[in-house]
Amino acid sequence: MGHTGVAHRRWLAVGAAAAAALALAACGSSAGSGKNASSSGTATMWLVTTGPSPANTAVQNLVKSFETSHPGEKITLDFVENQSFKQKIQLAMGAGNAPTIFFTWGGGILQQYIKAGDVQSLGTNPSWASNFLPSSLGAVTYNGQLYGVPVQGTQPVYFFYNKKIFSQYHLTFPTTWSELQTTISTLKSHGVAPISLAGGDQWPELMYLEYLTDRIGGPTVAQDLQANKPNAWSNPAVTQALTDIQTLVRAGAFQTGYNSTKYSGSGSDALVFSGKAAMQLMGDWDISSILGSDKSFVTDGNLGMASFPTISGGTGNAADLAGNTASYVAISSKATAAQKKVAEDFFKDALTSTDYAKAQVAAGEVPVTSGAVPLFSGQQLQSYDTSIYNSVQTAPSFQYSWDQAMTPKVANILLSNLAQVFDLTQTPAQFSSALNAAAASES
Amino acid sequence: MTAPSVQGVRTTPAAAQPFGRGGGRARRRGHRLADLAGVGPPMVLFCLFIVVPMIVAVALSFVRWNGLGAPQWAGASNWAQFFRDPVAHTSLVVTLKVVVLSYVVQTPISLALGLFTAGRQRYRAVYAALFVLPLLMSTAGISLMWESLLDPNFGALTSLAKSWHAAFLQQNWLGDPSLTLYVVIAIIAWQFIPFHTLLYQVGRRQIPQVLYEAATLDGAGRMATFLRITLPQLRYTVVTSGILMVVGSLTYFDIIYIMTNGGPGLTTRVLSLDMYNAAFQQDQYGYASVLAVLLGVIGIAVAVGLVRFSGFTSMGSQQEGAA
Repeated sequence: MGHTGVAHRRWLAVGAAAAAALALAACGSSAGSGKNASSSGTATMWLVTTGPSPANTAVQNLVKSFETSHPGEKITLDFVENQSFKQKIQLAMGAGNAPTIFFTWGGGILQQYIKAGDVQSLGTNPSWASNFLPSSLGAVTYNGQLYGVPVQGTQPVYFFYNKKIFSQYHLTFPTTWSELQTTISTLKSHGVAPISLAGGDQWPELMYLEYLTDRIGGPTVAQDLQANKPNAWSNPAVTQALTDIQTLVRAGAFQTGYNSTKYSGSGSDALVFSGKAAMQLMGDWDISSILGSDKSFVTDGNLGMASFPTISGGTGNAADLAGNTASYVAISSKATAAQKKVAEDFFKDALTSTDYAKAQVAAGEVPVTSGAVPLFSGQQLQSYDTSIYNSVQTAPSFQYSWDQAMTPKVANILLSNLAQVFDLTQTPAQFSSALNAAAASES
Repeated sequence: MTAPSVQGVRTTPAAAQPFGRGGGRARRRGHRLADLAGVGPPMVLFCLFIVVPMIVAVALSFVRWNGLGAPQWAGASNWAQFFRDPVAHTSLVVTLKVVVLSYVVQTPISLALGLFTAGRQRYRAVYAALFVLPLLMSTAGISLMWESLLDPNFGALTSLAKSWHAAFLQQNWLGDPSLTLYVVIAIIAWQFIPFHTLLYQVGRRQIPQVLYEAATLDGAGRMATFLRITLPQLRYTVVTSGILMVVGSLTYFDIIYIMTNGGPGLTTRVLSLDMYNAAFQQDQYGYASVLAVLLGVIGIAVAVGLVRFSGFTSMGSQQEGAA
């Protein structure tokens, strides 16, 4: 086995991109032959999964009740594994074989599909859109048109911290950047790693840049970056944010080996709940993640949750959020008229329903449906869910995770260069010029 | 087929000859058909899955394409981009380091282990079985295992460092820019040395014992027998194993992708990882094809060069010291 692997890897390398391209070309030519046409009245739907979860069951039940209440309309639901989804949908889109309803994180990738004419518009302001929190639809709105509907909950980013450590050293969670720096030196003097960072995965590092940029320069900075405006990455707010990051690194704010620690497995979470590190900046999924690893840590009330600190002199609002506003589904423009009708009925009658919001809450999600607060009562994570929902509802700005909001090329270059900033192998100026060049090649 | 001409009882030579010749022609034609039938399917597969994709990769390297819609002609701009791309240049250097160091590390160890396991020592079979173990593990398994062993906070090495008071064991193995590349090369070696050990073991077993007996009679010592008999006789094994090592490490991807994803910084970003990022993370299929073509050309050039340089093509039997 081993040797054939070695010998053939050369050929694999040579042919990898080409083989994919060939497959695409072959599929592309047959796209017009109407593969979708045969199944009128039956829509297909792809959702992303990271494994069996209550949230998946909630969608499955929703599809079942939709089919019962809409005779003659059927939806074939498939779950695609998270890691392979981006590639799978890209291939299907390129080949014109996308499912009727496809999962999307919105942002830059969805925009690519919209520009290629692959996505069905849902109109400028459909009446049912008011069922969702307004901040949740920005990621699927393009040129004033709505292209997607939230299918799963919101995932803002907060600091999660170990309350035991904070009370042991008589600390309260810092609300300003300078307080954070004091807290860091106190924790270090007691031999606790102040911040746990999963730098081996790169994307957790981006959360620092997103929040710092917002707190320093306000939400317009990120909007310019996402629009690929010329030299937007040289904005002083970005440079200041990168400098602040490197100050944290030099101060030893992150645990030993922060740049090779991963989020999954016995990674950055374990450092926090085992008491080796005091806090972590992470999406709200971290609550259920820690609940799964160390249930009593959460149920005993040791997991604190706090907003990102403010920066003196910064123009960003302390209530601004960053993270994934929601995840969405959109309709392929290549679907038949009958399939599109099924999909639109499903969006209008099923995804916007209060019953689905209830099912999402029961599955541990925080839905972006309007007026959802009463739904949280009696839930295991009621206090977390309520404060997450309220902060999303009141946030003046909820910036979408940059790696999803930007085009794949810029996002990839962003993550790899930011990792070098965290490694102290790249200066903020080098970072800005690399990203300006990447953005210029995209506009 | 040949039976009639052999059995030709009492036929005149004149009568027999055309028949015999005809039989010969038919036989040759039959052989040609049989050859084609044998070579055909693999040739078709070879063309379909290797030659055609290579041609398509070359063609793709001249277009701009993100996987959606129709590719656009880009002329030589993708190639120009390669010459301006500092990341690609770094990747090229990292790749060369991986190739050279992998060869330098793996060859002597494989040779030593191969010779050892070819011998007749006590417990040899036990050792041999242990050495081959990494060959049975999947690459993903190897990566995850080493990742958890080397974890700077919860890893086994860190625990050892604490209980043995051996500070040098407590390193940021996969995050220290001056260390990580060598850690990765060591793990790749750990994965592939068993395979090359097997090659050398088989090679050594095929050297006739008489050569050693003769040398011993002539008074040659252990070092002399190794240098004058073992090494020359293993020449083709060295070349085979070397080509596999060089070409394999040139396009090596799996462990690096899983364990470091090119980091810290760009210290382990090999060219194949750069290509993966360009194609499947950035959707730049044109530029990724440039990198693919480069990797392919370098790989083929190195393989052909090694074969030529080492005289591998004129390989004759060296059994019984015939050469």
